[in-house]
Amino acid sequence: MKNSILLILILLLSLPINAQNYKFGKVSEEEVAQTEHPEHKEANAAVLYRKQEVYYELHKQTGLTLITQIHERIKIYNKEGFDWANKEIKVHKNSSTGEKVTSVKAYTYNLVDGKLREEKLDKRDIFEEETSRYRKTTKFTMPAVTESSVIEIEYTIRSPFITSLDAVPLQDVIPIDRLEVSLKIPEFFGFKIHYNPRSPLIIPIEQSQGSFTYNYTQSKRANLGMGETKFERKKVEYLLNEYSLEQDAIPPLKNENYIDYLKNYAAYIRLELQYTKYPNSPIENYSQSWEGVAKSIFNDSDLKKEIGITNYYKDDLDVLLNGKKQEEKVDLIYNYVRDNIKWNDYVGFRAEVGTRKAYKEGLGNTGDINLMLISMLRYAGFKTNPVLVSTRSHGIPLYPTREGFNYVVVGLELPNGVVLMDATDQNAGVGELPKRARNWQGRIIREDGSSGWLPLLPQIKSVNTNRLDLQLKDDFSIHGRVLNSYYGLHAKTFRDKHGKTNTDNYVEMLEKDKGNIVISNVEIHNREDKGENVRQTYEFDLKNGIEVINSNIYIKPLIFGGMTENPFKENERNYPVIFDFPSVEKNTVNLMIPDGYEISSIPENFDTMLGEGAGQFIFKTTVAGKFLRVETIMDLNNIVYTSADYEMLKEFFAQMVEKQSEAIVLTKV
Amino acid sequence: MRKILIALQLIFIGLATPLHAQEIPANTFKIELLANANAILREEITEINILSVDKMRVKNRRTVTVLNENGDYHVQAYTFHKDNIKILDQQARVYNSSGEEIKKFKKRHFEDRSYLSSSEMYGDSRISYMNYTPVGYPYTVVFEEEYETNSTVFRTSWIPLDTYNLSIEKARYIFKNPQAIPFRFEERNMDGLEVEREIMATGLEYNISNVPAFTSEKHSPDKSEFQPRLLVALDEFSLVGVEGSGNNWKDFGKWQYEHLLEHDAQLPQATIEKIEKLTANAESDREKAKIIYQYVQDNTRYISVQLGIGGWIPMPAAKVDELGYGDCKALTNYTRVLLETQNIPSYYTVVYGGDRKHLDPEFPSMQGNHVILNIPQEDQDIWLECTSQSIPFDFLGRFTDDRYVLKLTPEGGELVKTPAYGAKHNLTRTEAEIRLDEESFTADITRHKSGIAYDKIYGIQIIKERNQKEYYKELWGYLGHFEIQNLSFSNDRDSVKFLEKLEIKGKNFSRKAGNRLLLPVNFLRPTVYSLPRDETRKMPIEITRGESYADTFRYYFPQGFEIESIPEKVHLENEFGSLFIQTSLIEAEDGPVLEVERKLIINQGLWEPEKYEAYYKFLNQIKSYNNQKAVILTAG
Repeated sequence: MKNSILLILILLLSLPINAQNYKFGKVSEEEVAQTEHPEHKEANAAVLYRKQEVYYELHKQTGLTLITQIHERIKIYNKEGFDWANKEIKVHKNSSTGEKVTSVKAYTYNLVDGKLREEKLDKRDIFEEETSRYRKTTKFTMPAVTESSVIEIEYTIRSPFITSLDAVPLQDVIPIDRLEVSLKIPEFFGFKIHYNPRSPLIIPIEQSQGSFTYNYTQSKRANLGMGETKFERKKVEYLLNEYSLEQDAIPPLKNENYIDYLKNYAAYIRLELQYTKYPNSPIENYSQSWEGVAKSIFNDSDLKKEIGITNYYKDDLDVLLNGKKQEEKVDLIYNYVRDNIKWNDYVGFRAEVGTRKAYKEGLGNTGDINLMLISMLRYAGFKTNPVLVSTRSHGIPLYPTREGFNYVVVGLELPNGVVLMDATDQNAGVGELPKRARNWQGRIIREDGSSGWLPLLPQIKSVNTNRLDLQLKDDFSIHGRVLNSYYGLHAKTFRDKHGKTNTDNYVEMLEKDKGNIVISNVEIHNREDKGENVRQTYEFDLKNGIEVINSNIYIKPLIFGGMTENPFKENERNYPVIFDFPSVEKNTVNLMIPDGYEISSIPENFDTMLGEGAGQFIFKTTVAGKFLRVETIMDLNNIVYTSADYEMLKEFFAQMVEKQSEAIVLTKV
Repeated sequence: MRKILIALQLIFIGLATPLHAQEIPANTFKIELLANANAILREEITEINILSVDKMRVKNRRTVTVLNENGDYHVQAYTFHKDNIKILDQQARVYNSSGEEIKKFKKRHFEDRSYLSSSEMYGDSRISYMNYTPVGYPYTVVFEEEYETNSTVFRTSWIPLDTYNLSIEKARYIFKNPQAIPFRFEERNMDGLEVEREIMATGLEYNISNVPAFTSEKHSPDKSEFQPRLLVALDEFSLVGVEGSGNNWKDFGKWQYEHLLEHDAQLPQATIEKIEKLTANAESDREKAKIIYQYVQDNTRYISVQLGIGGWIPMPAAKVDELGYGDCKALTNYTRVLLETQNIPSYYTVVYGGDRKHLDPEFPSMQGNHVILNIPQEDQDIWLECTSQSIPFDFLGRFTDDRYVLKLTPEGGELVKTPAYGAKHNLTRTEAEIRLDEESFTADITRHKSGIAYDKIYGIQIIKERNQKEYYKELWGYLGHFEIQNLSFSNDRDSVKFLEKLEIKGKNFSRKAGNRLLLPVNFLRPTVYSLPRDETRKMPIEITRGESYADTFRYYFPQGFEIESIPEKVHLENEFGSLFIQTSLIEAEDGPVLEVERKLIINQGLWEPEKYEAYYKFLNQIKSYNNQKAVILTAG
């Protein structure tokens, strides 16, 4: 009882302190005096308040305009936080129209000799930049910023793109102390709200209904062509759907290594347009199923048309395929397209250049190249279909929408499954996709317009084997031979890394970080044969590769294979760890024991599992006469390991590193 | 082999397609030009026409054959421009390997966008460029541009080979000066090349041919030290319409002082009073300057906006005072004006910031890309970097140390050298007490850093603790898994000394070998750069800054550990530096202590290419000795 009274007292006492005034310009001395964030002491800056209001304006001449109003109050704690005083407002545009940033108002607040002083941002210090064909940026930096400044910014974005609402951010990389969002959507639009499923932060949204009145004046002529014009004031009432949310103390989004796209993990809401219902017009439905999305893309985006055109390549292809067996043709066609039509770095499922022109000029976007490939494969009698994809940077769509896809690859339907291809990647073979396309799942569209899902993440494990034959010389240097074999995506990775390096640089690259070494007789087989396994052999002489102390020789068997440091050094992790593909790496080292020496000790055999079958590490030694063999196998079955798996993964790698560092001891007889 | 194949292919092409390849020079270049080249400058004709002191027209026609993907960027089919640089014409044609024209760009096909350097927030520099994705190799681009500008102080020199891995078949430079405005010119690195010269009062004509490609080699001097160049400058010139004259550093500096600096700065009275108050008790000018510098660091930040002549003239001090930000010119000028209020003279000084690059002392002209502040003193001048909020007073660090700079004084320009930090001064002194256990270890580490070592570390203070820890985990990754239990820094800005204190705890970092442990006696390794093996080194070796390390490591062992052997003493000394390591076993009351003393010095210097092998060997020796191990017998 006593306790609860105390609690109430504390609550009452704390109230006036928390009751901040969020009106523009009402920055308090306390806010400026604050020296660190009360909860997140590491924060360089914080959003004290952010308000985003989205609504529509209706004018007789201009029709509807989408308005976004932002009011931000940002606290800067230290010099590292100064970047928050630089503002960039990016807006969309196209060739005919675009969004406009208006009514920018901004002040910096400082305490000068104990008094609050404000400094206004001069209009002349606001710059506008044409960033690209589709983007415009308004830039400014705040005046008089010091280590405890509070800055307040207000601006409005007026947009003619009335049905596409940008995602509303609910989180930032600095803490947000208070966030208010309000969306007022007139009855003409139906939106569905989606949260980012990858963020654990869910802020409840309150819904209510209101109305707004549209006043306008209509002119009427009394008689045809004659007499005075009458003006009539009219009034129409429309429904307004209001969504609002408020949240205090939103934690900052944490950044971590090995994260591809941090923004994929931030909290936000996205608005999906479901229908439009303009006055005096029927409802138009936009809400879709993935089946519907695929069908509409197939029909409206000329996919069908582009695949159907064959006359531009027909003669060339006939020559190429003349006399060839059916089973050779897929590789022939794929290589032909990949090697002759270069990718212009633009993604898209549409053929932006047009397949015919792309073929002629030897250059096209993903749509041009892969739709052309589908067309040719069909022409040669293969059942081939387009597969719609969302690239890694595009993320995973939250709901069925055409914007959910931004890429297309090729699916060759064989009795035992679908073989995927992408001819935009210079180093890919049939059945291999570039990393950008290995995301989420793909939607294959069949000739009749029906569609279905396909997994895009590699299902097959790629293998890498390395063999080292080591021989100790009298001067304790090591002479060795190496054989590296790369299969599947390991071979593609090898080509991605080394495809363009010339021989001199290649040897230099191989010798790097291997100590006092001379590498010779490097041979690489199948370096250019995309899709085939790569085999690399070389010889080396390594000085100071072993330790000779007293009459003992100490050798780390995987002299330069294997892992010397754990890649996972952080204590905790908030996001999943994503590998490129499932992989097995096998190392075999054969060591010839020099005359006059015998084995004193060798590392013990070792075998450990990662979780329940997610991976395995094996370390094994065998002695046969003068030869000592060390074998290691690292097997990783999964591509994605969640943050809950992190501790386990880190320990697995730690054990592996430790085991691979153990030395063999040879003693003089 | 691959190179020769390309060569044959090119020659074959040259013979096969004489008709529609009129624009491309026939493929008769010397085979040597293919060595190390990703592209060949087939022909370039640069024509500079000085119409008057403040009007210059530049015409350029550049034909490049690109041999592989790495050569794409040598095409350089773009023109930088801004308000005072007007593009008159731009066009380009692309030819495939058979010499057929495959693409044509007219002026309107060039894309135009703003061109900001990474540190710039806003500026009016723009680039108009050919947006072309090559579809096959080799290919050839003929690019033509013509522009006019009212600045005649820049872009008059000729640098035909400004990058690596490009060879020149033929390049021509024509400097037309019909009004015979006095001008100077000097050659650099043209000895031994095929050069034809024609020198007149009204101009120059230079032809250079068959220059093989350079390749970039590690630790070689800046490319300005070896690339062929023809430096040309007018004695009467204009900068964005502001006219000037000068053919020596004194006059040139005087012009800059008079026209590009603020002379009647008006600071608000409140600021002057504040400075007055802050410095009231300071006893010397040096002390006052230090207080003022601190004031600038506390009240400003670096923001760069470059518009028109504002790219050359600092924003007024009063405006910096009001906005609290500015670029290097603005902040340096602001500091200068603040010092002036206390009657401390200081000089705005032009420099090349970044990797060491000198103002060419022999060729007075508009040079440099950054400014710093010089305060003359009787003994040693004070130097201030005004764009950083955290660098110590009178410390320049790697960005502007040890190079020729131009001081702008009312009497004129004065070429001086900024302070250098010597190897002895760039010291990292480490002490570590390491306590080993059966499976783990703890270590108390202290490190003192000064000079350039200070410059490299002091920024760590302002990053997040989590990232600080990450930094050490990466740096000492060879220690295996460890946790940082205590971490503190002390930054003595007055004496430019930085102290790091760490307590770490980790798993045993010794290597297991049966019942023995191989203990690396050099607990923390100095960062020694790695050089590739290179039997055909062409460039000299330049080590731009020396450094030294002095370390003491003490190891304590648990019961039952027996030290079987310790490494022998190492003493290595040569012109590149020295290494000394001594490991000794001390029998203390509670067991043996292993003490390691290590001293490493890497000298600053410039050595002939022939010394490369020896340098390579020296670094390998250091690495190898840093790997020395003691052998310990464990009870197990």
